[in-house]
Amino acid sequence: MNYVETLINGILLGGLYGILGLGLALVFGVMRVINVAHGEFIVGSAFSALMITSFFPGIDPLIAVIPVAAAAFVVGYLFQTILLNKVVRSGDMLAPMLVTFGVSIVVRNLMLAEFGSNPMALDAGRLAQMSFAVMGIHIGVLPLMTLAISIVLFGLLQYMINRTSFGQTVRATADNPDIVRLMGVDPRRIYAVVMGLAFVMASVAGVLLAMRTSFSASSGVDRILIAFEVVVLGGLGSFWGALIAGVLLGVVQLMSFQFDANSGLLYAHLLFLAFLIVRPNGLLGAK
Amino acid sequence: MTSNLARAIPFILFVTFLCAAPFLFDDGTLHLATEMFVVIVIASMWNFLAGYAGLMSLGHQMYFGAGGYVLFMFANVTGLHPYVGILAAFGFGALAAAVVAPILFRLRDAYFAIASWVVAEAVSIAVQKTDALGGITGVSLVDSSSIDFDRFETQMFLIGGGMVLATLLGFVWLLRSKPGLAFMCVRDNELAAKSIGIDVWPSRFLAYVLSAAGCAAAGAVSLLGGLVVQPGNAFSPDWTVIMTFVVVVGGIGTLEGPILGTIIYYILRQLLTVVFPLSGTWYLVAMGSVAVATMLYSPKGLWPILRDRVGLDWLTVRRSI
Amino acid sequence: MKLVEVEALEVFYNDMQALFGVSFSLAERECLALVGANGAGKSTILRTLTGLNRKLKGRISFDGADISRTSAETIARAGIAMVPEGRMLFASLTVEENLLMGTRTKRAGNWTLKRVYDLFPVLLERRNQMATTLSGGQQQMVAIGRALMSNPRVLLCDEISLGLAPVVISQIYESFSIIRGEGMALVVVEQDIKRALSVADRMICLLKGQVTLEGDARSIDMDRLTAAYFGE
Repeated sequence: MNYVETLINGILLGGLYGILGLGLALVFGVMRVINVAHGEFIVGSAFSALMITSFFPGIDPLIAVIPVAAAAFVVGYLFQTILLNKVVRSGDMLAPMLVTFGVSIVVRNLMLAEFGSNPMALDAGRLAQMSFAVMGIHIGVLPLMTLAISIVLFGLLQYMINRTSFGQTVRATADNPDIVRLMGVDPRRIYAVVMGLAFVMASVAGVLLAMRTSFSASSGVDRILIAFEVVVLGGLGSFWGALIAGVLLGVVQLMSFQFDANSGLLYAHLLFLAFLIVRPNGLLGAK
Repeated sequence: MTSNLARAIPFILFVTFLCAAPFLFDDGTLHLATEMFVVIVIASMWNFLAGYAGLMSLGHQMYFGAGGYVLFMFANVTGLHPYVGILAAFGFGALAAAVVAPILFRLRDAYFAIASWVVAEAVSIAVQKTDALGGITGVSLVDSSSIDFDRFETQMFLIGGGMVLATLLGFVWLLRSKPGLAFMCVRDNELAAKSIGIDVWPSRFLAYVLSAAGCAAAGAVSLLGGLVVQPGNAFSPDWTVIMTFVVVVGGIGTLEGPILGTIIYYILRQLLTVVFPLSGTWYLVAMGSVAVATMLYSPKGLWPILRDRVGLDWLTVRRSI
Repeated sequence: MKLVEVEALEVFYNDMQALFGVSFSLAERECLALVGANGAGKSTILRTLTGLNRKLKGRISFDGADISRTSAETIARAGIAMVPEGRMLFASLTVEENLLMGTRTKRAGNWTLKRVYDLFPVLLERRNQMATTLSGGQQQMVAIGRALMSNPRVLLCDEISLGLAPVVISQIYESFSIIRGEGMALVVVEQDIKRALSVADRMICLLKGQVTLEGDARSIDMDRLTAAYFGE
């Protein structure tokens, strides 16, 4: 019974991992940039939500997501416009990545300076304790909601990319940023909006994650590595692949805690590396 | 163009400095200098891999830490003088890299970079959980009687200086040789390189293994200086932060860049922690900001600016990006 | 006043100079043929007109306004469209989505999806196929349609016939008469001189970044053109 419950909880956790990777996958798919600072902004969102809930006590953290996500869009838009648009050149993936690596150091240490390295947690209140039983298996309400939210987010993103005219423009820009200018589209503005959306997803992921585990100013490294593993395992360019990969990683991680309690992300990392050896193109193939 | 003799002058000056310094400076200063030597070496290794072979690794802290562990374990198990362990660390670093490379080489560019970080994290966690390797507390020297503590800092200083010389001279020699040209061809245009018969894999493999071994040796020296190796410090990603900062600011793809970058790094560090007493985290904020600003406004780093302004052209096997 | 005026244009790619003082003009409703050998600078002129290359000296004006420093996006919205060399369709988009991308310039005009499908009926059948799965000639039609959908005042066509079978090329060139019938000005770049001259009013020949011959397309002296094309 224990293993079934672990499996289910792993799936629920996996939904969250999926959202962690989704923002990264979006940016990567459109701009071919790996935003190393993604992890730090996930943590930063958690801190922002924490500040909001401490400033307005009694506010449900889930409500706090809204202003955090709104602010995240603006931050992401500015981040792209002021910093990354200066270094995004077609074909060169390393220079933008190095810039984001530098930014991640700055952000992480700003958070360390401001908040210290103590573990924090977002109090989700009653929601965190609620659970119900199905056939003797306990399922937490919050993790279930998280999975639901992540499926909704995935669906929305998929819909936006494939069925809206903005999504067409995004795909076209990803295909050929030079030619798209001939149609009156400024690729830099598209990139900025996309980065803003990615930050929104990072912020949702950050807040949801903070509601279920503790975090600290140094948690960003773990977050970006999970996000990256989700993207690569899912197959670069596949959104649903990322969700499946997230579930896989979540299951493996929780299962590993059953027999090796203090292993952190070790088994997730090992799974990732094993996949690299066997199926380097990921679960659902590469673009 | 300066003549070969003129180019040799800095090396001669450096050797002179190495010989004289122990008589001129106290142990504390020598220790700082050894630290700087270590940074020059690891930055040069990262620079070689990224700037010449085109592979950006974010996981080389793994080899740095491994070097430390190997040195301590080697000394503890064999009873040989710890300095011998530095060679063992070099060898182990090369072996470990040879094993890891085939896995990592399945990914390219940025994926390679992050995957290398994943491997490093996995190793770090695994070591921390292994009691035989000292768990979270790490390993210290069981028998330090073979070390002459009066001369320890001087000896470490000289070893460090020797490593810097070996690194610089080694790279100058390597990059002027045929394999060296092959590196640069592969970095510039892999397709074209393949079409003229250059096999990509061996070049990249060699570069990866060499840079890992160098980092391991440097890590051994650095961690020996503290007389204990702890996983939190040994495998810290901050070592990679230092490597990237130094190379980016100094000048990627040039042999002089890491030296200039190290000097700037230490000036900045002294400035921020001694002159303005800021805590460690704030100076990392400053460092990161300087690195980002350099990448945005002077992507080739500062050495090319210095070189072109002043007309210095020391170790000319430079790459232009 | 001419629709497009180019004065003493010098264009640079990195350290190389590609155009050395080119001047010409394009009138409303006119069809201009730009011919020349490979590397003569024809595509460079087009890319510079669209704003994709901004390393230049000299002056370009469109409808009286100086566009030498204007961004490509703004120029597109002002009414200059290009069918790029090699078609450059968006691989992740279907045929219809590619065509619809043309409407991002938000320009009003007669060219709609329906009219493009009337012009190239084969595209209607394949509208939901991924654009790059079509044959070369059909892709060329998509590229032209995409440019038309932006309702430009000037249409630049870069090496449309490259790699296509003669039958297909004829089909495409026939569509030009309909396009021109709307009042669009055209610049046609071709290595195939006969084709270019068959639709053009005026012609310019380029060699190594300079204009070597200019004149009426219908009354051009072939010997003079050959000399201008290959140089002495």
